[in-house]
Amino acid sequence: MRYNTRHKKEKRPYNIVAALAVLAIIMTFMVTIAANSRSTALRATEDEIIDDAVKRDSVKSVAAFSKVYSVLISPRCVNCHPAGDVPLQGDDSHLHTMFPQRGKDGKGILTMKCTNCHQPENTPGTHTPPGSPNWHLPPADMKMVFEGKSPRELAKQIMDPTKNGNKDMKALIAHADDELVKWGWQPGEGRTLPPLSHREFKEAWITWLKNGAYAPTN
Amino acid sequence: MTSANNNMGRRSFLKAALLAGGGMILHFHWPAAAKATGAEAGAIAEESYELNSYIKISKDGIVTLLNPNPEFGQNVKTSMPMILAEELDIAWDQVVVEQADFYPERFRRQFTGGSQSIRQGWSPLRTAGATARQMLILAAAAQWNVPSDEITTEQGVLHHQQTGKKGSYAEFASAAAKIPVPENVKLKAVKDFSIVGTSKKNVELNNILTGKPLFGMDYNTEGMLIAMIVHPPAFGLQLKSLDDRVAKSMPGIKSIFVIDSLTGAIVQNSFDTTSFTRFAVVVGNSTWEVMQAKKALKLEWAEEPGRTFKIGSPGQANAKTTDATYPAGLESSDVHRRQMEEFSKKPGKILRKDGDPEGAFKIAFRIIERTYTAPFLAHNTMEPVNCFAHVTSDSAILYGPLQAPEFTVGTLSKRLGLPKDKIRINLARMGGGFGRRAYGHHFIEAAVISKHLNAPIKLVYTREDEMTAGIYRPTYSATYRAALDKDNKLLALHIKAGGIPETPIHADRFPAGAIENYLAEGWQIPSNITIGAFRAPRSNFIAAAEQSFLDELAMEMKKDPIDFRLELLERAKTNPVGKRNDYDASRYAGVLELVREKSNWGKTAQGVHRGVSAYFCHNSYVAEVVDLVVSNNEPKVEKVVAAIDCGIVVNRDAATNMAEGAIIDGIGNALYGELPFKDGVPQKNNFTTYRLIRMNEAPQQIEVHFVENEQDPTGLGEPPFPPTFGAVANALYQATGKRFYNQPFINQLTSV
Amino acid sequence: MATINLKINGNKHRLDVDPSTPLLWVLREHLNLVGTKYGCGVAACGACVVHLDGEAVRSCVTKINRAADKEVVTIEGISEKGDHPLQQAWEQIDVPQCGYCQSGQIMSAAVLLREIPNPTDEDIDLAMSGNICRCGTYLRIRKAIHLAAEIQQGTK
Repeated sequence: MRYNTRHKKEKRPYNIVAALAVLAIIMTFMVTIAANSRSTALRATEDEIIDDAVKRDSVKSVAAFSKVYSVLISPRCVNCHPAGDVPLQGDDSHLHTMFPQRGKDGKGILTMKCTNCHQPENTPGTHTPPGSPNWHLPPADMKMVFEGKSPRELAKQIMDPTKNGNKDMKALIAHADDELVKWGWQPGEGRTLPPLSHREFKEAWITWLKNGAYAPTN
Repeated sequence: MTSANNNMGRRSFLKAALLAGGGMILHFHWPAAAKATGAEAGAIAEESYELNSYIKISKDGIVTLLNPNPEFGQNVKTSMPMILAEELDIAWDQVVVEQADFYPERFRRQFTGGSQSIRQGWSPLRTAGATARQMLILAAAAQWNVPSDEITTEQGVLHHQQTGKKGSYAEFASAAAKIPVPENVKLKAVKDFSIVGTSKKNVELNNILTGKPLFGMDYNTEGMLIAMIVHPPAFGLQLKSLDDRVAKSMPGIKSIFVIDSLTGAIVQNSFDTTSFTRFAVVVGNSTWEVMQAKKALKLEWAEEPGRTFKIGSPGQANAKTTDATYPAGLESSDVHRRQMEEFSKKPGKILRKDGDPEGAFKIAFRIIERTYTAPFLAHNTMEPVNCFAHVTSDSAILYGPLQAPEFTVGTLSKRLGLPKDKIRINLARMGGGFGRRAYGHHFIEAAVISKHLNAPIKLVYTREDEMTAGIYRPTYSATYRAALDKDNKLLALHIKAGGIPETPIHADRFPAGAIENYLAEGWQIPSNITIGAFRAPRSNFIAAAEQSFLDELAMEMKKDPIDFRLELLERAKTNPVGKRNDYDASRYAGVLELVREKSNWGKTAQGVHRGVSAYFCHNSYVAEVVDLVVSNNEPKVEKVVAAIDCGIVVNRDAATNMAEGAIIDGIGNALYGELPFKDGVPQKNNFTTYRLIRMNEAPQQIEVHFVENEQDPTGLGEPPFPPTFGAVANALYQATGKRFYNQPFINQLTSV
Repeated sequence: MATINLKINGNKHRLDVDPSTPLLWVLREHLNLVGTKYGCGVAACGACVVHLDGEAVRSCVTKINRAADKEVVTIEGISEKGDHPLQQAWEQIDVPQCGYCQSGQIMSAAVLLREIPNPTDEDIDLAMSGNICRCGTYLRIRKAIHLAAEIQQGTK
């Protein structure tokens, strides 16, 4: 029998990030990009990443997504994108102590609203509540689960406007600079950082999107 | 009625008489938090007559009862005065309860620990109540000019039937206080009890529920500074250097220094336990400011050489001393595990041997051998360690959480160079104890800090300071071996158990006495990690091992686990093996029979997995049946039925509350409790990583059944705790088909 | 140091205090409201729960500047006469052992009862698993919350 409560996560069978770039060569599926994907107005917010149009390059896109994926499934991201309604904690992504619930708006319920403990900034010390001004999980009607998703599933989910908060490419690109997303790179004492720097992540994120936002085959 | 010799504290009566001589006593109420509760505190008359150390009666009829023992949640502050009120024959709602200060000349054994408060307080408190009643009767007899044995009492009223004379206790309190203390008094028959055996609410309820200052942590007084200490981060390290350049100029900081709480010249006792006697101290205006400055200290640590020191017996000034040793080195749990495995294989010190166990194992058809382990545990009282101290050149006042002031006052006296009677220890309500507060190191630390500064200070530990400061439940290992013949008959039992740094064996307890060929061996491994009493010391582990093994043995022998235990107890009752057996086999069997009946043993509902366990410790017998269910692939204890024989139950609902708590504590520690070490560093330092049982993990129901008898009361705070571990393990086996040998069980439950 | 305006239990205070000081220590040491307890300092035990604009915040990690100009209610202010339905229920059930965690328990339970006037055991688990009681009075807390719900609704 397994004991789920704060169960240490099983090794993910889909953790095959390194192989993805190769697989991408035979990639055939493409994800629809919403709205103004060819708009010349589309610009990244940082000058060094300038790309005016989507170039459909599945190899490049999927290779970039493999990097993106490695970040999304790192504890700093996956912990607040859980499969269930209880966030995860720690580098081992165990269920959050005291089992706070997502709630309708993703901000907790009853006595356990996120901001009852999570302040606008990290609380100093180790194992103290991390913080950011808008600390929350995805809402109940759009859970944006990362936990347990394969790269393909995750890529498709991110690009699905019915699941991503109706974000178009512009909004998706902007999301890389969301304050709560960026918290992942300033997570406070004792927490490991995502495997890429924020800049590398953002570059990969935009590369993936702007080369057609292809989903890997697996 | 029975009678009692009034030897319960002659000194307390002498003192009382002296104080009462003038008629009026002005009581020193300090601190405000320790003031009387129950009836309206404001109504307490300043003028009251003291009949003895425990009982004061005011002119306007307020009866004040003093609770002698420190309160840490076991409810002595209500149940001890209930015993006084019973024999004094006063209505409970006429009573006001006050916490006594530490005052060994007036009160016996002001020690909350070993589940002994009620057991050892029973006779003195009854006698004190009955004596005061008798003095009131004698006063009335003199005034009414009638024979004293014709006077009856009822709920605070004296009555002489023949003449129809009546008077309240208050009317006679002044005269009674001057009467010589009677040598002999009559005690009530148990059947006539009207307070003892009922349920009285916690006298402190209102103060707790409205957030009044009750705890040491809440204490504040004019000019008081906050002090915090920084102890080494690892056992085996000591302070090498301190750089306070940044910290000392931070806001609110008054002083930073290094100090020794104990010095080599002082003979310690076993309740002075502490690993860290030299530490950095930061003192300032407020807790938060001191916390910040503490973080800004730059400290260097060095490995401490092994330390040997003299240790004496607590409470005895001229007791023989022995040498205690803390070995050098930085210890780790994986090394501990290997050491314990090695020691398990070597011969231990024989603690008891009956018959010919070696011979029996030689001829055994089958040998079943199992090893059980448990980790270090931290007490984790909800209120962190703290103590107020104000030490001047000629006196000391201390106030804080302390279970055993009598074991600390001697060391304080030596360390401060003050006579004991110049040291006042006032007893705060404690935010939990569990054994942790039997150790008075924080009182000594607070005192030396106050003395150094010549100022009143409150020493405050952070949660991290407390969890990493030592005095843990030791880590243990026990190997049980059973020799069976080809008919599954039990030929012999062999227990070899030890720990770091003590063995958990109680060699003369069950199943000793029930088995023809029996061998108990113990071993121990020295350590510099300090340990201490933790709710039912040693029992809390060995009960788990023994009761799990007996369960597995019953299974192997194809016997019902309760029947198997009862068979063993029958042997211990009718034809005991050996002479030193320290339990009553009939009472032991009694709780098993009661739990069998109350739990409907043998009629388990679908989806419910059951485990049973029973244990005797602290003079009481407890059997428990745990019902475990599996939902969402997770086992959860849903219900526990407990049968307890602790003799007369003084305060029924409070006793039930304590038993419920002990069982929940047992479930929590069995499943989650663990404090691992790496290179001397405790690997958990707060509740974020140290998992304590929470609401959603607590059972839905706990039934507590007390055996009804007229035996004098015995322990209750500890006895329901040890059996829970085994009952949980045995229920987990029923649910999973796997035995759980190593605590905490969560580790096995989560390993894929 | 900064000057901060606070409203605690209906009373206004103006304090000069380091704005990063947690609300807990301001309550306990500046305002002498010691019913709110220090247990862990890292929002893990719930002994320090107070209401901040009605939410059950953990005052040990809530900086005082976050409480500025907001309504703070502590155990001392949850009722005028100590007769909040939860206090009544706690008394009837005789919940506490050591009592140290109980003000935090009551402050959490108060938010639960406001949001769900008649909570189930499951609701209680969801709302109360953030409050540790080391003495293990959980069953009584559960029972007392049900009783308080009845008292609050006038059915008891």
